[in-house]
Amino acid sequence: MTTVLCLPFIRRTTAGLLLTVALLLSGCSKTEVTSYRVAKEKDTELPGSMTAPANTSPTPPEKLTSTPSPAAAGADMAATPVPTASGPGLTWTAPAAWRAKPLGAMRKGSFDLVGEGGATADLSITAFPGAVGGDLANINRWRGQVALPPITEAELPKAAERFTANGLGFAVVDLASADPANPQRILGGMTPYQGAVWFFKLTGPDALVAKAKPAFLDFLKTVKTATP
Amino acid sequence: MKTILRDLRDFLVSLQLTVALLVFGMLLVFAATLDQTNLGIWGIQQKWFHTFIVWQDVRGVNLPIFPGGYFIGGLLLINLLAAHIERFKFTWRKAGIFLTHVGLILLLIGELLSGLWQEDFHLRLNEGETRNYAEAFRDNELVVTDVTDEKFDDVVAIPEILLARHTPVQHPRLPFRVVAKAHYPNSILQMRKPDGTPTLATTGLGREVVAVPQPITYKTDEANMPSAYVELIAPDASPGIFLVSTGLVAPQRFDYGGRTWKIGLRAKRIYKPYSLTLVKFSHDRYAGTEIPKNFSSRIKLTTPDGRDDREVLVYMNNPLRYAGLTFYQSGFANNDRTTILQVVRNPSWLLPYVACALMTVGLCAQFFIHLVAFVQKRRAKLSAPAVA
Repeated sequence: MTTVLCLPFIRRTTAGLLLTVALLLSGCSKTEVTSYRVAKEKDTELPGSMTAPANTSPTPPEKLTSTPSPAAAGADMAATPVPTASGPGLTWTAPAAWRAKPLGAMRKGSFDLVGEGGATADLSITAFPGAVGGDLANINRWRGQVALPPITEAELPKAAERFTANGLGFAVVDLASADPANPQRILGGMTPYQGAVWFFKLTGPDALVAKAKPAFLDFLKTVKTATP
Repeated sequence: MKTILRDLRDFLVSLQLTVALLVFGMLLVFAATLDQTNLGIWGIQQKWFHTFIVWQDVRGVNLPIFPGGYFIGGLLLINLLAAHIERFKFTWRKAGIFLTHVGLILLLIGELLSGLWQEDFHLRLNEGETRNYAEAFRDNELVVTDVTDEKFDDVVAIPEILLARHTPVQHPRLPFRVVAKAHYPNSILQMRKPDGTPTLATTGLGREVVAVPQPITYKTDEANMPSAYVELIAPDASPGIFLVSTGLVAPQRFDYGGRTWKIGLRAKRIYKPYSLTLVKFSHDRYAGTEIPKNFSSRIKLTTPDGRDDREVLVYMNNPLRYAGLTFYQSGFANNDRTTILQVVRNPSWLLPYVACALMTVGLCAQFFIHLVAFVQKRRAKLSAPAVA
């Protein structure tokens, strides 16, 4: 009743399998440089000095940071997001008048606020891992963007308005430009959440942003933990 | 020489080796599970399973501490195959055992192929946005693109690992050499202080922003933000040293050799000959509550040749399977205006199913054969005349 199968066949098959495995292992490489042609793609544009040709003279940082614009806001540090592909996040409810716009590179949220005469302010929602330098560094960075001098640690308690909404502790600053020739304003809110800091930053013309402050504060109070 | 070969053969076919490998396998799973609290699921897969040797940093020295998953699984596979060749003779009485072992071999091969071939990407789409590529979760690439032409971009993509190894790259499509001066697997970006924080960058955004290295994170809800300082070296006037980072929102533009270029570090992309547009993302909740009921993405699938131009609905447990890829509903963002789809390619996805089916059939067959033999034996015993 014993049937002996063709052993050479099994040996050959097995040798083939082992050889295939060896080849697969040897071919397991992710280090190839590739090149290809794709249809034109649009990127989020960086502001002037950042997109300037490498062989041109640099735009002074002071000028860059003192003229915030929607485009600039998309490229500065507060708009440099953590590339969290998924995972827990925050949600919010924006006023109907705010115009949602594409996220660009990797903003968590992005809105335009349009005022009289077509003036536009940009609201960006971003997140960074860790403390991102702490409240003082973040506030001083925003102050620098509207040409305000940095503050010291001692001045920090008075510099930001603090409140808690939906279990999230916010620090909010209202920074108006010291440059009368370029009246800009930043309303910035930040809250730590799950090992990252979330930034809500409204940048634009002084009058428009000042008028939008109550709506901005109400908006921050709608921010809450996303239900998975 | 013959003695050594015979010893080697005896070693490879021995049952003791099988038992030892199974014990090592159990220890490996146990240790990796404990280590998961430190490294997370992705970290332990790389450190313990997708490797031949497990390395551990002991007071600054990297030491091998345990055989890795590939080593144990690979040796187990060789052991099984060698034992069959050496000892196994097919008989119908052992057909079930044979099938079970074939299933086990297939399972091991399937795991190996999955480790080698499986690719995980994600596709992030805003409502109304169209994309013809997905992005890797963890692999990144330095991209140098010739954007001179108005209709298309010529892209040269350099895997991040070459930056980490500081391997100079000279590509035929680039008029300069690409050399990483520094590479940080994880970093944060900071504005340079007015007094001038030292930076390696000589041009572009790196004159205003610096990358500060950070420890690598393995947490599932965090992502590393790699950065690098990359020098472009040409025979004449070199474009300079750029700071590139996945944290920067857009690539940096520069002119060289009468052409316009862009350089940036981004998630590795896989382009496809079709495109997907997010028509609408829906996040349904039970009435009057915030409890999620359903997430779904209405996607428009289009091919350039017009063979496919249709809408599909992707929702939980109802992925889109198309051209060898599976698109699962994975997440959402931007106040329900952005969908995140997980895109998986696994050519060997069927092997584990076939393996399990073979093992099930094999075990059942073996049990049935034994049962029949037992019943026949019992009948024979009962029908045998009693001995006085």
